[in-house]
Amino acid sequence: MMSETIRKPKPRPAPESLPYWQAARDHRLALPKCESCDKFWFPPTRSCPHCLSMNFSFENVSGKGKIFSFVTYHRVYRPAFEADVPYVVALVELDEGPRLLTNILGIPHDQVTCEMRVEVTFDDYDDEISVPKFKPTKG
Amino acid sequence: MIPDITPARELRDTCAIVGTATSRLGKVPGVSSLDLLVEAIRNALDDAGLKASDVDGVLCRGPDESYSHHQLLAERLGINARFSTTLTNGGASQIMSVALAVMAIRFGLAKTIVCGFGRDTWSRTHSSEEARVRNETRPESMLAREFGPEYGYFGATAAHAFGATRHMHLYGTTRDHFGEIAVAFREHALRNPDASMKKPLSISDYHAGRLIVAPFGMYDCSLRSDAAGAVIVTSADRAKDMKQPPVLIKGFGFHNNTRGWFADDNMVVTAAKQAGEAAYAMAGLGPRDVDTAQIYDCFTYMVLTQLEDYGFCKKGEGGDFVASGALRLGGALPCNTSGGQLSEAHCEGMLQIVEGVRQMRHTYPEHRQVKDAEIALISGHGGNQVCHSTLILGRA
Repeated sequence: MMSETIRKPKPRPAPESLPYWQAARDHRLALPKCESCDKFWFPPTRSCPHCLSMNFSFENVSGKGKIFSFVTYHRVYRPAFEADVPYVVALVELDEGPRLLTNILGIPHDQVTCEMRVEVTFDDYDDEISVPKFKPTKG
Repeated sequence: MIPDITPARELRDTCAIVGTATSRLGKVPGVSSLDLLVEAIRNALDDAGLKASDVDGVLCRGPDESYSHHQLLAERLGINARFSTTLTNGGASQIMSVALAVMAIRFGLAKTIVCGFGRDTWSRTHSSEEARVRNETRPESMLAREFGPEYGYFGATAAHAFGATRHMHLYGTTRDHFGEIAVAFREHALRNPDASMKKPLSISDYHAGRLIVAPFGMYDCSLRSDAAGAVIVTSADRAKDMKQPPVLIKGFGFHNNTRGWFADDNMVVTAAKQAGEAAYAMAGLGPRDVDTAQIYDCFTYMVLTQLEDYGFCKKGEGGDFVASGALRLGGALPCNTSGGQLSEAHCEGMLQIVEGVRQMRHTYPEHRQVKDAEIALISGHGGNQVCHSTLILGRA
């Protein structure tokens, strides 16, 4: 009972983002890619924001990118995050272009910087959902 | 990248603001946002020497959950309205309502229009223990479904803090710069008996304030207020014979970076850039002509970046500009001279318009008046951080 109330919010996939979450469950990062203009976009929608084409498929991306910007939460907005503060929420720009909101793991919050190279890692929420997060790229 | 359009210069100086007022500001428990707005409008009508029956247009923004809020408002005012609607661009709505009023009056759709906004944010979130708990424990159903809450991403503070971090990274801006904005506006609030914040704020107080979402601490964040404001717009011809010195509407402009706050460079170059260029073009003015700026200050950083986007300094030089003391009364560009949303009260940009009008009237005591001010620039920012409005006022 108690553990239910303090769990972090579970993503509730929309029909158009279901393939994204299905790939994430298999620990793959897959984004919609336009078959007309060849560009990726995020978040998933039913038409390409670059050319309005409705022909697209979910394609794997490299999972590598850099931190465009980030913030560090000190205030607890929801009890589920109380143990995490201070925690970093970052906007990661993938090498393929799209920017994703995410957490940065594996590095003290005060060492995170803009432009830092990062790569995807997956945080298993339960049997259905794995949440893509990022960590500094080694080397 | 400015679209090849010509702002309607023929709208310049065709209309004036002839009345303005606020409701009680700050903590006004037990009064709805609609009642606060009616209070502000009644005070504005008194200020203008008009009756509600003199008004034939009503433009407002309502609470997000209110349907056709202007109808509720006009019913309270006891009037039918020729021209009336509700705007929903968040903090960019209030200036847009003034611009719509000018267009409607200029093209004969109405004669005298009241524009206003009221909110009861303090009462909803802080007035009681029940309100606090309700605010802190919103049900899951009110959160975004995905791509945010699972990462612990909540609230407008973080959204704007992303821009602050990026600006600091690109240009070496510091929290000392943000702090100077908070300190300057607090100093202005101390001169304003209606302002919510009554205690002085030093830069060391600023740094001692607890962090909320870094790089923002508590003094980077605007207030939660019960507040309403209103202005009354009519033609410049009719304004000549009225109770108050008319304040001319010289220009306005809009831009919406609707590709998103997280897209492109939008978090460091805001839509204030194009909105400002359009407003300057209509007014036939530039940043050097502006004597006082009333900038939408939901967070300190937003002031700094808008000052750059409006051309008061170059992009990236906002830190040095504010550090020079420019924003203070007596400085090069006195800014948010009533204390702003950081220290007076937060009414989603409505009080910025009220203060701009008052500065143009030259009726303030010396310690509050921007000396010899002839032109005021006012900004509105809202939606999901991407909608922007600019208004330029001048003395008749």
